[in-house]
Amino acid sequence: MASVTYENVYKRFGDMVAVDNLNIHVDDKEFLVLVGPSGCGKTTALRLLAGLEEISSGAIKIADRVVNDVAPKDRDIAMVFQSYALYPHLSIYDNMAFGLKLRKTPKEEIKRRVTEAAEVLGIQDLLTRKPRQLSGGQRQRVAVGRAIVREPKVFLFDEPLSNLDAKLRVQMRAEISKLHQRLQTTFIYVTHDQTEAMTMATRIAVINKGKLQQIDTPQNLYDHPGNLFVAGFIGSPAMNFFPGKLRKDNGRLVVDAGDFVVPIPEKKAGPYKAHADKNITFGIRPENIHDENFVPLNIDVEKVAVKVDVTELMGNEIFLYLISGKNTFVARVDPRSSLRVGQQAHVMFDMDNFHIFDAETEETIR
Amino acid sequence: MATTSMQLSREKRKAVFRKVSLPYLYLLPAFAVMGVITFYPLIYQVIISFTDFQTKDLLLQLASPELKKVGVQNYVDIITGGLPVQNFEFFRVLIYNIWWALTNVMVHVPAGVLIAVLLNTQGLWGKRIYRAIFVLPVVVPPIVVGTVWKNIFDEQYGAMNQFLTLLVHLFGQIDPVRIRWLQEYSPPIPWLLPNGPLTLAYYAMMIANFWLGWPFMTLVATGALQSIPKDLYEAASIDGASGAQQFWNITVPLLRPVMIPAAVYGFTLSFNLFNFVYFMSGGGPARSTEILVTFAFDLIRNLRLYGVAAAFSVIIFFVALVVFLITNRITRATESYTEA
Ligand SMILES: Nc1ncnc2c1ncn2[C@@H]1O[C@H](COP(=O)(O)OP(=O)(O)OP(=O)(O)O)[C@@H](O)[C@H]1O
Ligand SMILES: [Mg+2]
Repeated sequence: MASVTYENVYKRFGDMVAVDNLNIHVDDKEFLVLVGPSGCGKTTALRLLAGLEEISSGAIKIADRVVNDVAPKDRDIAMVFQSYALYPHLSIYDNMAFGLKLRKTPKEEIKRRVTEAAEVLGIQDLLTRKPRQLSGGQRQRVAVGRAIVREPKVFLFDEPLSNLDAKLRVQMRAEISKLHQRLQTTFIYVTHDQTEAMTMATRIAVINKGKLQQIDTPQNLYDHPGNLFVAGFIGSPAMNFFPGKLRKDNGRLVVDAGDFVVPIPEKKAGPYKAHADKNITFGIRPENIHDENFVPLNIDVEKVAVKVDVTELMGNEIFLYLISGKNTFVARVDPRSSLRVGQQAHVMFDMDNFHIFDAETEETIR
Repeated sequence: MATTSMQLSREKRKAVFRKVSLPYLYLLPAFAVMGVITFYPLIYQVIISFTDFQTKDLLLQLASPELKKVGVQNYVDIITGGLPVQNFEFFRVLIYNIWWALTNVMVHVPAGVLIAVLLNTQGLWGKRIYRAIFVLPVVVPPIVVGTVWKNIFDEQYGAMNQFLTLLVHLFGQIDPVRIRWLQEYSPPIPWLLPNGPLTLAYYAMMIANFWLGWPFMTLVATGALQSIPKDLYEAASIDGASGAQQFWNITVPLLRPVMIPAAVYGFTLSFNLFNFVYFMSGGGPARSTEILVTFAFDLIRNLRLYGVAAAFSVIIFFVALVVFLITNRITRATESYTEA
């Protein structure tokens, strides 16, 4: 039961700033996912919290207590490593019991907790084995089990699923979510996989180059990305971007992307009026681009001329890779679409769902 | 029809024969060389171990008319102490030999590991220099080491006594220290190996052989330490392990699969450490630091008892075989923890 706070936290390795003025407050019982591209400093941020690295400046609090100088073992946290870091010479039971034994927990209590955790994770039958006799998925469960039995205030996970195959990853994702609901404890989870972040988190913190970009619920991040980086990072396939200009045309505000021009509906134009004649980046998600013949009802659309470059049938949808002048972009359209490779056609941009970013600051204009 | 099938099978048999015989053909040159330099002397030695072969027989060897077959008398004499040799009891030497090898390993391995752990400390300055230095004893020949240390423990001029003299001078003693390291016979700790005196020479040799032995263990341990994943220590530190607990719960068990074979190797090395023992103490005083191989050599060099020495070597062979079988078993019992 604990909140976690990063206050102006910096971590430097020599000249390298790995964590750059990080400010995050995680509420008790939250499931916070730190997400970002490789090398952005997620692991470092987590290790700072675990006490495995010393912070260069700032403060980290667990349950309102500054833990800057507290040893890892006294922070009341448990961590699941990407490599699992199971003790190779100990049985699964002893791996899970190790921390409790060091803390001089009574034998019966250890036994109760380990058996209980093993049951929750479905590894009761493996307790006498050695780690090397386990599959990757089983090891992962043991690593989680070792964290659970400690009953810590905060759980830390560093890309725990990245060594598993795709199917197992989806399954474990659900199980970790369930575990969070069951344990009612603060979870902090690091991943570079935005799908993992979207499906598990109560809130997501997007990090790039050591800096926090935005922290919000998955839905809000998706619908209202604060800048170009977040918009491009969250969502798969990624949002399409078109460099262009905001311009007044016959009294209406339009986005001029060079190869096409789309007017902004009057009801949405408000925030953009002050930015007329500015260089901007126009962003629209693949699912907001429709086949001309299969446009949902009641949305404002604008027609854009394209050439179909590649089509990918996904079963319940089709990904179209489109070319408009020098821009290439993706549309995720109705599976009934009859557009074929090489065809000249029109697609419809949903003008209720687009994003405009300042070309210079890359911030969302809103 | 029948003939063709018979032909076929003959050809087939030929092919099989060729396939089976080919490896032996390849091995033949090696066997020929080994036959001359290994098997022939071995068999020859077993034969003369049943004779009274002495200097008189050197010229005509097995054809010598004076050569007497004595059956197993040589063996009986060795084991029951019936040899015309002073201060020799076979089992005392055997037990001392085992004790010598065992105590050496018991000191070298922990010390080697400890030094490796200390040198492995993160951010230690000059790591590479230390690592270069501790290879030194490994490459200096044991003969040189034995001779140098013999001089160090010299009663009159040895560095050890001079150092101790300096030390006692600091405490107001005037008399120079004259410890007879390699000559004193009465054991300083009489109860330590009850059936034979552990003379001062033994301790002096333990010190000298320590210098010779720890670097190899440190070398092995350093390599093994670096293969222990760092995140195990991190996991342990989160689990609540102090530095010492990490050492006992992670470092020691994970070094074990590497250090036990190294210890076995060190044991056999010390067990037969002829050069060093021969040049440092010569087995003295009064054969108290004699090991089996130095004694066998003495039987020929000083006593010229070729037949007895041959029998003795056969016995050493069987002792070595037993040692090998035991240690081999220990080595195999230590499986690695990582992926098979
Ligand atoms: N011990 C260290 N010494 C020097 N630089 C380091 C150290 N640890 C991390 N870094 C650097 O800090 C930056 C952030 O590393 P970090 O491991 O936190 O990235 P990450 O976001 O976890 O990436 P990934 O998704 O690849 O795991 C990287 O550029 C890395 O090279
Ligand atoms: Mg990482």
